Amino acid sequence: MDETVAEFIKRTILKIPMTEMMTILKAWDFLPENQLQTVNFRQRKESLVQDLVLLCESKRASLRDAALLDIIYTQFHQHQKVWDVFQMSKEPGEDVDLFDMERFKSSFEKILRRALKNVTVSFRDAEENAVWIRIAWGTQYRKPNQYKPVYVVYYSQTPYAFTSFCHLKSNTPLLSQALTVASNHHKIVKMDLRSRYLDSLKAIVFKQYNQKFETHNSTMPLQETLELDMHMDSRIIHENKIEKERVQRVTQETFGDYPQPRLEFAQYKLETKFRSDFHGGILAERKEPLRCLIKFSSPHLLEALKSLAPAGK
Amino acid sequence: MEWANDKSKGGVLAHLERLETQMSRSCKNLEDPPRETAESDLGTKIHKLRCLRDKLRAEVKQRQARIKASTANAEPDQTLEISEQEAVGGKEENMKAILQAYRFTGLSGKRTSRGVCVCISTAFEGNLLDSYFVDLVIQKPLRIHHHSVPVFIPLEEISAKYLQTNIQHFLFCLCEYLNAYAGRKYQADQLQRDFAAFLAGPLQRNSLCNLLSFTYKVEPQGRSFPFCARLLYKDLTTTLPTDVTITYQGTDASSTSWEEQRASHENLFFTKPLYQVFTSFARNGERLDMSLVS
Repeated sequence: MDETVAEFIKRTILKIPMTEMMTILKAWDFLPENQLQTVNFRQRKESLVQDLVLLCESKRASLRDAALLDIIYTQFHQHQKVWDVFQMSKEPGEDVDLFDMERFKSSFEKILRRALKNVTVSFRDAEENAVWIRIAWGTQYRKPNQYKPVYVVYYSQTPYAFTSFCHLKSNTPLLSQALTVASNHHKIVKMDLRSRYLDSLKAIVFKQYNQKFETHNSTMPLQETLELDMHMDSRIIHENKIEKERVQRVTQETFGDYPQPRLEFAQYKLETKFRSDFHGGILAERKEPLRCLIKFSSPHLLEALKSLAPAGK
Repeated sequence: MEWANDKSKGGVLAHLERLETQMSRSCKNLEDPPRETAESDLGTKIHKLRCLRDKLRAEVKQRQARIKASTANAEPDQTLEISEQEAVGGKEENMKAILQAYRFTGLSGKRTSRGVCVCISTAFEGNLLDSYFVDLVIQKPLRIHHHSVPVFIPLEEISAKYLQTNIQHFLFCLCEYLNAYAGRKYQADQLQRDFAAFLAGPLQRNSLCNLLSFTYKVEPQGRSFPFCARLLYKDLTTTLPTDVTITYQGTDASSTSWEEQRASHENLFFTKPLYQVFTSFARNGERLDMSLVS
């Protein structure tokens, strides 16, 4: 086994917290169960890692196997990366997309290799219809840097791809081209959406967050929860109760019942005129509208906004 | 500014102090009276509104009492009213139940404040599957407020073609696509779940479930070589494939019996849903065993 591969495997396993060690090694499925059982998982981490690396050497682990372990580690620790979203588009009126995952993978890799000889591309299927791609970039004269890979998560037959933040911006056009061509699209743009939480990004672009739809079958649990709240504060009289109910209803209609996708900040460009009671104030009565940038930030923005309305009054 | 130091320091700073005290005094004089009057104004307003509310409440109570009194006088009609009320209540329950049951027709809707919320309930071979919603705003032009249709269903295309001109066609078309998708997905899930023993490798699929690629054997523990199947569903409104390619990689690939089998399998995949194909393999497998033995 190559020394660089051994070092890479050693450093990857060292990153894994002890509580997840068994789970990740089983998901990797490179070291068989009976061999894992011969290892003492109660010893100090450094010695455990040494034992595991020796086992990998005896099984002749390749760079491919090491890259797969890296993907699995990243899948377990998605929040450590910052994810961007790219949106692709097709020409209208195209034929039905008969997406073949194997053809996508080989096409994607071929496009990268044609442009760059020194690149490591690895794939791991996920869920029913998604693939995780790991790309380690090199240059014309240097071997790929395995310690700064880029990850791409793609769901078949959708126009969205999620990529982990890449410091080497120079390779982004090549990556974009490979994605677009391999998935039968024509154009690609980067969206104004970024988060550590891949699930939240998915929920937003695939519109999977709970949306309230009116049907004849829906029950009205709202009234019950309100009764409980009202009993707690007897100072709230009838007129205020009606207003509170209205606020609750509007909040529920807008946000739904389930947890919100996790956004950490949202930025808006605002163009407005200032409405003021004080005549002759500095900001009032300008011909030009005010242009400003408003930024909301919070550890969990949408939940904070959702709790804002009922907290008022 | 140097003249602000030493000699003039007392002068300027003291001057500023005096100005400050003057200002705060004049502010107080200005604020208090307005604040006081504003408060007392609100106070009287609240008092007036409360009086009005009490008066209206008393009136409401009076009217209710009058109505009760008048209905008490007309006793014989009361029983008729009650049974009429029950009848109406029963009809209402019935109506509600019918409206709720409408979703079993596959296409139902509910009026909303903006328009209508359409519910498409998909089904395949008697199995009720997922429901998808499209919330429409009735305006010119008609538009979709929000929906729960998966992103890989060509909703934009269908709405561009039909939404403005023929809403019925739009809904039926969307129904077709969603039902076909749900049916294909159901077949793929069922194959993976119930006939895993026949599969010699993982089932390759995509989001729309319109390309399935897998290797299978006709007997779960058989010694026979597996067949490779590639099913394409080019028509997104159907649950049966449009293209079927079966290949056989065994050593005796040239033998006619395997060629016959291959051809018959192709025909099966074209005409029957997946679970029926594999159920017939299970049955035929038993028969084939018998014929080989004899």
